[in-house]
Parts: sequence; C-alpha cells; structure tokens
Amino acid sequence: MTTHAPLDTAASPRLTIMQGEARASADPALTMTTILGSCVATCLYDPIARVGGMNHFLLAEPPDPARAQAFDSDYGLFLMELLVNEMLKLGAVKSRMKARLYGGANMNRDLAPIGSGNAAFARAFLAAEGIAKVYEDMEGHQARRVEFRPASGLVRARMVHSDEPTAPIPTHKPRVPAQSGFGAVELF
Amino acid sequence: MSQTAISVLTVDDSASMRALLRSALTSRGFAVAQAEDGQEALEWLAANEVDVIITDINMPRLDGFGLIEKLRTSALHSDRPILVLTTESSDDKKQRARNAGATGWIVKPFDAEKLTTALRRVVHC
Repeated sequence: MTTHAPLDTAASPRLTIMQGEARASADPALTMTTILGSCVATCLYDPIARVGGMNHFLLAEPPDPARAQAFDSDYGLFLMELLVNEMLKLGAVKSRMKARLYGGANMNRDLAPIGSGNAAFARAFLAAEGIAKVYEDMEGHQARRVEFRPASGLVRARMVHSDEPTAPIPTHKPRVPAQSGFGAVELF
Repeated sequence: MSQTAISVLTVDDSASMRALLRSALTSRGFAVAQAEDGQEALEWLAANEVDVIITDINMPRLDGFGLIEKLRTSALHSDRPILVLTTESSDDKKQRARNAGATGWIVKPFDAEKLTTALRRVVHC
C-alpha cells in the first residue's frame, strides 16, 4: 500500500534536521528530512541560486506570563534568521526566496493548540519579512514526515500514521539552542 | 529618577528582529531609532546623535562590517560604542568585527537583560 512514493533518494546523502536546527545546502544530491508533530519546519528555496534550506522549531510553552504574546517567538525568530543567513552565505538572495511551511499539528486535542501557535508565528514571520509563502501543509492532528531537496526545491510531505514508528515528538523547546554561546555578550 | 534615556540605533534588515529589539529596549527605558541596513544607518547618523549602535552583520547594500569601518573613519562617530548582534558564531567573523572597531559581540538569540546591561556599560564607560 503505497500512497506516496518517497523522493528518489536511493544512495543520496540524507541530513536529518533536528528541532532547534537550521541548515542550508546547494548539494543536488542531498535530501533533508525531518519528522514534525507540533513543531514547524520551513523549507526555503532560491530558484535562481538553486540554494535551499530547512529549519525545525517549536516555540516555548507554556507562555511566559511576563510577556504579552501567547507564545515566546524569540526562539522561532532566531531559527528563521539563522536559516535565511545560512542561505545568504551560499549565494541566495532574500527577495527571491520562496517558502513552504509544514507541521504545526495539534497533537493532543485536550491541550492548548501548540501547533497552531507555531503555524501562526511562521506565517506572520514570512509576511513581515516579505518572503513569499508558496505552499503550506500545517495544523490538523497528525505528525508529518518531510523530505526536501535543497538544490531543486522539491518537497515531499506525508502524514505519519499513528502506528508507524516515529522519532519522539518533543513537547518543549530545548533549553540550549543548537548553537552554543547564545545571548553571550563579549566586550572587546 | 529623571535620567535622560539612553538612545540606541538598531540596524537590522529583518522587520521581525527590529520589532523584537524595539519592544525589548523601549520597555526597559531606552530611546530607540531603527535602520534597515548599514546605508540607511549612515544616512540617519549624518543628521542625528545617538549614544550607542547595535548592528546586525548580514544586511543588503552595506553590511555590519562596512558600517563599522565607515563610522570609525568618520568625524562624528569614531568613538561611538557599536555592539554587533548576530547569528554568526565563527571566530573569524568575530575577529573581523573587532578589527573593524566593534565595541562588543553578542550572539543571537539575545537575552534582553544581558543586552541592556551591556548597553549601559558601554555607554557609561
């Protein structure tokens, strides 16, 4: 029973994008993959430079009572900016970037709609930055598996059925981002 | 305490980051002006005074390195404290910022309390 064939990725290198990561590449052989529950992944692509990248984030929850916003967006903002900058380094141009958004499922119907909060942040970020959103497959109640070819912009996403083995779906953002030394101030 | 607010110019091409910085700094009593890239910052600084500058590195037209270099050779702002706020983590880039004349280096995502402590320190030292 095959609903969607995977991308033709036999023998091609695969890179798993973990929560808290943002990676970019121009390698035509590379496939980036991730599994998303309430997290959101952004697949960004510059069709002229043929450079693509993916991030994978989850906003903090429960919300910090000291802040007016419903979710702590600082961490998502960091991962969005990191993704854009990683692509710029490879020759991409921000005004040419096109985005596809995946994930943001509300995995537990009895809890706060964490996935929808992540999805709303991602949409708002793209709108504020003037980055075109060409496609989204977000929210709902099921996990998704995403495969992305950064050099061609091709994305294949499918729902992960609940009886399939998946990577554990994190429910909290990591306390330490992937990049070390964050927030550190060094005066020269 | 009637103290004049420290005035900060933030330079970042990301509208989301500008909004976050404006919110974090104004809520802590700073007066905030903003520019979208190094070029716009230079034009604004030609006609305005500011206590401290926070700049991103990766920006169109004139990047953070270029902005620092131009300010350090300008008559008006050669001594102005300039903090770099960036997602860059490489030592090479940090060294380049230091050589260009940056006052400090802060890695995003920033901690608002650490950032404002650094701002007060570089303005008053």
